Amino acid sequence: MIPQTNAHLSSIQNGMDKTIDAKKSIAVPLVTIINWSLFLGNAIFLVFNYPNIPEWNWAGIFRINGFTILIWTTVTIFSSIVCSYASNYLTGFKYHARFMWLCLGFTLAVMLLVMANHVFLLIFSWWIMGVFMSQLIGIDKAWGEAREASKFTLRYFITGTFFLAIGLLILAFFSGQFTVSGLSTAVSGLPLYILIPSALSIIAAAVVQSAMYPFHRWLLSAMTAPTPASALMHAGFVNGAGILLTLFAGLLFASNTFSILFVIGGFTAIIAQFTKLLQVNVKQKLGCSTIAQMGFMIMQCGLGFFNAAVVHLILHGFYKAYLFLSSGEEIAQTKPERPKPLRIRPLQGVVVLLFGGLGAYLFASWTGKGLLLNSGLLLTIIVAITVGQATYNIVKEQSLSIMQKIVVPPLLFMVGIGIYALIYNGVTVLMAGMAKVSEPLPLTSTQIIFGAIFLIGFFIMKLGVYKKFPWVYVKLMNLSQPNKKSVLMYKSKSI
Amino acid sequence: MNQYLLSSIDKAAEVIGKTWPLYTFVASNPLSGYEKATFLDAVSSAHKQFNANAFPAAHIYRQALEKEDIDLKVLVHLLKENGLSECPEKYLKLLEGHQADEEVNGTHNVDRLMVKWLSAFMDEGLAEWEMPYKSEGFYTAWRLLVIYDSELGATSLKEIPKTSAAALNQLLSELPESDYVEIFSHQMAALPGWTGYIKHRTESNSDWQQEFPINLMDYLAVRLWISKKMNVPILPEGNEAHSDSFLLKLQYIWLKAWEQSWQNQLVISLENGANITQFKGEPALADAQMVFCIDTRSELIRRHVESAGNYETFGYAGFFGIAMDYQSLEDGISRKSCPPIVASAYTVSESAQVDKKGQFLSYEKKNERMGFWDYFLKRMKNMLPSAFGYVEGSGVFYGLSLLARTIIPGSIYRKKQKNLSQMEAICQPDIMNITQKTTDLPNVSLEEKVSIVKSAFDLMGWKEFAPLVLFVGHGSHSANNPFGSSLDCGACAASPGRHNARMLAKLANLLHVRKALAEIHEVFIPENTLFLGAEHNTTTDEIVLFDSEAPETHQMLIEDLKVNLWKAQQSATKNRLGTNGDSLSKAQEKANNWGETRPEWGLAKNAGFIVGRRELTKNTNLDSRCFLHSYDWELDTTGKALESIMQGPMVVTQWINSHYYFSTVDNNAYGGGSKITHNITGKFGVVQGNGGDLKIGLPLQSLYSSDNDMYHQPLRLTVTIQAPINRVADILERNNHLKSLLDNEWIYLLVMDPEQKNKVFKYKNSLKWEVASRTKYSGTQKTFHASTLTELAV
Ligand SMILES: [Zn+2]
Repeated sequence: MIPQTNAHLSSIQNGMDKTIDAKKSIAVPLVTIINWSLFLGNAIFLVFNYPNIPEWNWAGIFRINGFTILIWTTVTIFSSIVCSYASNYLTGFKYHARFMWLCLGFTLAVMLLVMANHVFLLIFSWWIMGVFMSQLIGIDKAWGEAREASKFTLRYFITGTFFLAIGLLILAFFSGQFTVSGLSTAVSGLPLYILIPSALSIIAAAVVQSAMYPFHRWLLSAMTAPTPASALMHAGFVNGAGILLTLFAGLLFASNTFSILFVIGGFTAIIAQFTKLLQVNVKQKLGCSTIAQMGFMIMQCGLGFFNAAVVHLILHGFYKAYLFLSSGEEIAQTKPERPKPLRIRPLQGVVVLLFGGLGAYLFASWTGKGLLLNSGLLLTIIVAITVGQATYNIVKEQSLSIMQKIVVPPLLFMVGIGIYALIYNGVTVLMAGMAKVSEPLPLTSTQIIFGAIFLIGFFIMKLGVYKKFPWVYVKLMNLSQPNKKSVLMYKSKSI
Repeated sequence: MNQYLLSSIDKAAEVIGKTWPLYTFVASNPLSGYEKATFLDAVSSAHKQFNANAFPAAHIYRQALEKEDIDLKVLVHLLKENGLSECPEKYLKLLEGHQADEEVNGTHNVDRLMVKWLSAFMDEGLAEWEMPYKSEGFYTAWRLLVIYDSELGATSLKEIPKTSAAALNQLLSELPESDYVEIFSHQMAALPGWTGYIKHRTESNSDWQQEFPINLMDYLAVRLWISKKMNVPILPEGNEAHSDSFLLKLQYIWLKAWEQSWQNQLVISLENGANITQFKGEPALADAQMVFCIDTRSELIRRHVESAGNYETFGYAGFFGIAMDYQSLEDGISRKSCPPIVASAYTVSESAQVDKKGQFLSYEKKNERMGFWDYFLKRMKNMLPSAFGYVEGSGVFYGLSLLARTIIPGSIYRKKQKNLSQMEAICQPDIMNITQKTTDLPNVSLEEKVSIVKSAFDLMGWKEFAPLVLFVGHGSHSANNPFGSSLDCGACAASPGRHNARMLAKLANLLHVRKALAEIHEVFIPENTLFLGAEHNTTTDEIVLFDSEAPETHQMLIEDLKVNLWKAQQSATKNRLGTNGDSLSKAQEKANNWGETRPEWGLAKNAGFIVGRRELTKNTNLDSRCFLHSYDWELDTTGKALESIMQGPMVVTQWINSHYYFSTVDNNAYGGGSKITHNITGKFGVVQGNGGDLKIGLPLQSLYSSDNDMYHQPLRLTVTIQAPINRVADILERNNHLKSLLDNEWIYLLVMDPEQKNKVFKYKNSLKWEVASRTKYSGTQKTFHASTLTELAV
């Protein structure tokens, strides 16, 4: 025992952590438990019923199918992790309880979105999802910049909802169908002057949500949200576009607006990936990365592979949630380094090409895309280049032995492609009931031209040519600045 | 160049604190530029300059009053002394009536653009694509790029002078020179975090500064040029922050009452300690002796180690007296590992232990591979189009890691711990002079080595050596924590102290060092005494021994010690975390939970620095509120040791204490704000939300237990020394800067004079003292007797 001659010197500390725990609102464990139960329920249901998920409809208002359960499982696992993380992370935060309720509200809004069959319900869930998210961005009401950011982002979300409403209402009033399922069969009989404006409006709603250029600025102004809310935003909220486009795949087919998606997505992916390179704040860097990844997802939609887009949104969600939740790890003492000039030897070049080709072959056969001349080829080429890049980096590394150089790359890409293919095929099965979500399109000139641009972008980046254009640096820097009012707009006034 | 311009910049920069990078988070007084003035004058000037609070908020005072940390009697007395005779509640209400709030920032656009350029330029490797023209310096790079900046409107290169000096001369040509200082300090105070970091870079001349120079003149030139272009006035237009001197005085009285209440309690407990000691004889020789850092967290673990066995503990600055930089094997970077006020004289690096060359090589190989793996992942994420393929191929693994890190951080930690001191098991530290670190010859003279070892024992007042002597450095473990280094050893410039401890142990074990100690200095170390380096993990209270080279003869002792240290760990974590359950798992979970914003409390609550024998404090739970430095006044006949303690550790503890004080009283201005919305910038700092000024101090979560409830109590440091009062007075007379810290009320000094029956004296202005002993009143401790404050001139 430690004698204590003086009680007062040590009165407070013991049990300090306990008092903090005791102060946590009931909302914290409650919402966490609700979220985990929702996730487990969905996951168990999914496992036991796979691959034949029963379809369920209710009065043209709700419908639940494999896709619904898939997205429910995805969104609940993200919000469960975020809630568990926030239980510690936000301890002592005066709006902790509010944060938890908003998280729950957001999760339920996404769940409602994917089960909504009535267009009004769909529009409502889209709107309320944005409201919850902007509330999370501005959760600290005493902080002026956060209030500005909240207002700023809400304007985007309302704009998105407005587009969605226009697109859906045009269709609904013209066809007399007020359900999503009804519309997907009705679109084939509608004239183009109806289809095109409504498809464009729905695309607009999607690209606002996914922060595509030129609607990207809201995402770069949303860092006033506590870190776990950002994780939820980047893993859950921005994905809304993928879900929406998948739900209306039929409309996009009928209106033949794929090229628009492909160009917007591809263009944004390239710009955002370059912009990411010059970010000096970790959250803005992750923000640019998200924009690029969402661009890629939309590009996949534009190629007709909605199932690939859904897989991408799930995997990207894991990736980005992880990076946000660990964004405090970026502090490090470093030294300025000049990149060493790297030359590849002929034999190494052969290995790169060989493994790249092998990767492409495995990808094409395991995901069932085949090597036919269609839009799927573009995705296969991207995989080939990725595998080539990985191999390239490994074979020229001096700390590795010859054996490691030969064994490691195939091991990496076989595991990577294998697991991807497993998930891809699983998701494809779950989405089987939906119309036209994995149909390769005939190769068009737009796709070929943009595919070429993509390759050029890759080479520009590889060779570092972009560093020779200072004006590009400034343009991209300005392009990625947050909303003016959300930085240094206010100052404190002491007593 | 205009000399007046330069001197005005220097003058204006004096009051700007230095912003330290978070990878070496040094606790320093943000108002160190004002230390020449009295505390009250300093905080009122800073209040005007930075628009920041100088005293704890009213609700903090209320909490202190309710918890009886502020003794009502003391408070009433002090109020009366200042002619304020109404009841304290009324004054508190008055203070509560004044709330800090927000106003629109008049220079918002200029500030925003400055942050845009500064953060791009000062980045330390977070961005793959660095700002063009960076190596030509900030001003030139900005000048060459700003012509493309549409946010400023059309600009041509010809408009902008070629150098920052020319620009300033042109921009200021119509203004009287007498306005310069005011203009400059106003412009610097607009973004104190960023200007403080410029100051840090220019003064430390870091690698980044050498390659990419920036200075305050560049900053001012760019800022004034932008202001002019945007038609923003460069001097404040009248509505400056005004401070209500009555409010400040009132706040100051409350602070003093709080401090005095705490001091009264401290004095009672120290006098009790002194009394108990008198009845005890000489204790038996300990099984092991352990030296801990003076850090406040050592106080807790020392208590528990002492009660776990027959062990004696000491307190000594955690860099163990070696002014060194440590070169890491992991990345080859040399990091400072001694107090920032001490210039590094040595570099310590690692080499293989005898017979462990093979393991050493494979360890190096492993580091190289880890380095490659990081680079590989970065490349894959950054490049087109691999970024997309990479996400698809690795997403599942990120998902699994997400789950694992969220659900079982404790188990992952325990697994990781198993091979943590791998490096120490195969390496030994080598010391070299810093100027010749390129040659591999250990060229530190025997004399220097002997003096490093000797001064350690001198300062601590060492009498007898146990068979096992441990130097225990300390380090903290936390996950996902930008402020991780703020929890490491302050005396090692925010590095863990393990390598200093290992180095000192190695020096003390050297036979020729021992021989010289005995022959020249009459310090006799028994042949069977073994010195070992160790590290106290302040998050889990584990003490790791670096004993891979210990001889067979000591194995039994070491095994026993390890068992007892484990017991001490159990009881210490229970005590600290206030739990009866599995406190160890809880602590381990805190050390590795990525969602944990309060892994441990660091130096929070620090309020006192006690220099004296352990017996004074041994029987008291000081609640980790005191720095403890061992000192034996009887062995230090010349007072040299005490003088070193006062010049070194005392000043450093004052830095730490002031840092905690100001970070607490205005967490947004002097601290880091809340962690939950931090955004890391440039690999060295944090900003809030979308960006803004660089944060300069500790985050809210290191100081407050919730947004509103205090944990750290913002009190100025009370130094207590057990030594003859004349000796202390002599030292103060010789060291004017120490005396001025006291006279200006940045710290308090209590002296317990063993030659006057351990009576306690409190320093008053200009080397005057008053009696502060309280033993006489031990029956009525709560009564405050003003009449005992008789002034004594020494
Ligand atoms: Zn220390």
